[in-house]
Amino acid sequence: MSGMDPALKPRLRRRSTFEYVAWVVCSLVGLGILISVSTNPNFKWGVVAKYFTQESILRGLMLTIFLTLASMALGTLLGLALAVMRSSNIKPVAATAGVYITLFRGTPVLVQLIFWFNVAALYPNLSIGIPFTDIGTAIDVNALMAPITAALVGLTLNQAAYMAEIIRGGFTSVGKGQIEAADSLGMSAGMKMRKVIIPQAMPSIIPATGNQFIGMFKETSLVSVLGVAELLQSAQLIYARTYETIPLLIVASLWYLVMTLLLSYPQSKLEQKYSRTSSRIPRRAKKVVLTAPEGMAR
Amino acid sequence: MSTDGTIHARAIRKSFGPKTVLKDIDLDIASGEICCIIGPSGSGKSTVLRCINGLENVDSGVLKVNGENFGYYETDTAYHALPPKKLAEQRTRVGMVFQQFNLFPNMTANENIMSGPVLVKGQNKKQAMKRAHELLASVGLAGFGDYYPAQLSGGQQQRVAIARSLAMDPEIMLFDEPTSALDPEKVGEVLAVMQDLAKKGMTMVVVTHEMGFAREVADSLIFMDDGYIVERGDAREVLRNPKEPRTRAFLDKVI
Repeated sequence: MSGMDPALKPRLRRRSTFEYVAWVVCSLVGLGILISVSTNPNFKWGVVAKYFTQESILRGLMLTIFLTLASMALGTLLGLALAVMRSSNIKPVAATAGVYITLFRGTPVLVQLIFWFNVAALYPNLSIGIPFTDIGTAIDVNALMAPITAALVGLTLNQAAYMAEIIRGGFTSVGKGQIEAADSLGMSAGMKMRKVIIPQAMPSIIPATGNQFIGMFKETSLVSVLGVAELLQSAQLIYARTYETIPLLIVASLWYLVMTLLLSYPQSKLEQKYSRTSSRIPRRAKKVVLTAPEGMAR
Repeated sequence: MSTDGTIHARAIRKSFGPKTVLKDIDLDIASGEICCIIGPSGSGKSTVLRCINGLENVDSGVLKVNGENFGYYETDTAYHALPPKKLAEQRTRVGMVFQQFNLFPNMTANENIMSGPVLVKGQNKKQAMKRAHELLASVGLAGFGDYYPAQLSGGQQQRVAIARSLAMDPEIMLFDEPTSALDPEKVGEVLAVMQDLAKKGMTMVVVTHEMGFAREVADSLIFMDDGYIVERGDAREVLRNPKEPRTRAFLDKVI
């Protein structure tokens, strides 16, 4: 109670007893885990370090990145087509997309992957040609559905179903008035989609797509069951030989974690950028000088 | 105004599910006529407007806009819906101004105004841009072409929306409560633009609560209630001396 100016005294946050207890408990538990992890020789951190940048692991990582990029790109394109179909007012078209989405979202990805790998059991030969003529070729489906193809097909078709729902959600976020304005100007359905609906749906589609991307990166580990030598499978191949199971799972996990963290930064930037759309002023609007030209007074 | 600019309707009926919103509506609007439609909300006045522009389809009755059956072609036994291209063509001849402006937020004022001529009519961009500048100047917004809708006030947005409709060179302009979403002090600037347009001989159908505008600018006035046209006539005459008790009751409350 000295002579300090009451106007300058800081206002302190109230800390509850629970807060102090939480600090103590969490610190102790955290410290315990840290000591255990670093002193338990079975973790074999030396092995982790040795394999972290090993060539087959890095090749596996590259394949994981490739599978993620390829299935996201193809899945998004197919998803866009499905979303447009689903929004069609021609019943059979909308229903087809609806059935597709239900099937692919309603069954596990793992099951779908194994299904595509074994699809040759259903259709051993695929013939491409002009109906009722002899022109065309037959393709051996068993040879076509190599593990990597099956992986790509499975991930893409599954992703398309999820992307279709995200994109369609974006479409429905565009106000009815916008569509009426486009209609009253006489725009065709395609024009309306390209110039009015899709540009305005982007702010809600892009952040959700970023999330899917990060999810897909981890989802690719499922294709290890098909024997595709992506990141997880590469680790498995090594520990099958050396029996250093845990250290190699740590190697794979660390890579997944690193990549996810790297991706989550641009993702959070994207989310920030597109959540500021209440004002709905596109980026390039900045070049406009905000002073009142003539006619403002009217 | 090139060709026609008339609206004729006989016994138009329209239902939304079990609710009948238009009951045997007859309309005769001449070329260059300014017609105001007033009435309580839910009376069907907006629906009439939306039918004239094809945003809603009528269930039955005759609807001729610019002298043609609107949205349908007639055979001996039925009206058949027109293909989308034909309908779009008819729509380009009827401009619509909405209560909520409905400017495209992803386009500048210029791009909004050019969207119809360039995207729908395939006009070349340079010409369309020149026209956009002229139209912006005519609604008192010269120099605002590079602004996005979010950078404009409500009154300015509505004036851009009017310019966007005018860019299609329509014979008829429909206004659906164009000033109802505006700050009271911005109402005047939009009404002034509409008054200018009226002087140029545009056929205009205006759903509005602005009785002052109806009195000063409109030729004819229609009062609607519960899906019917209750009273119609010379705008000043109806406002000064309504014949139907329902019209009188409504006017007593709003004026």
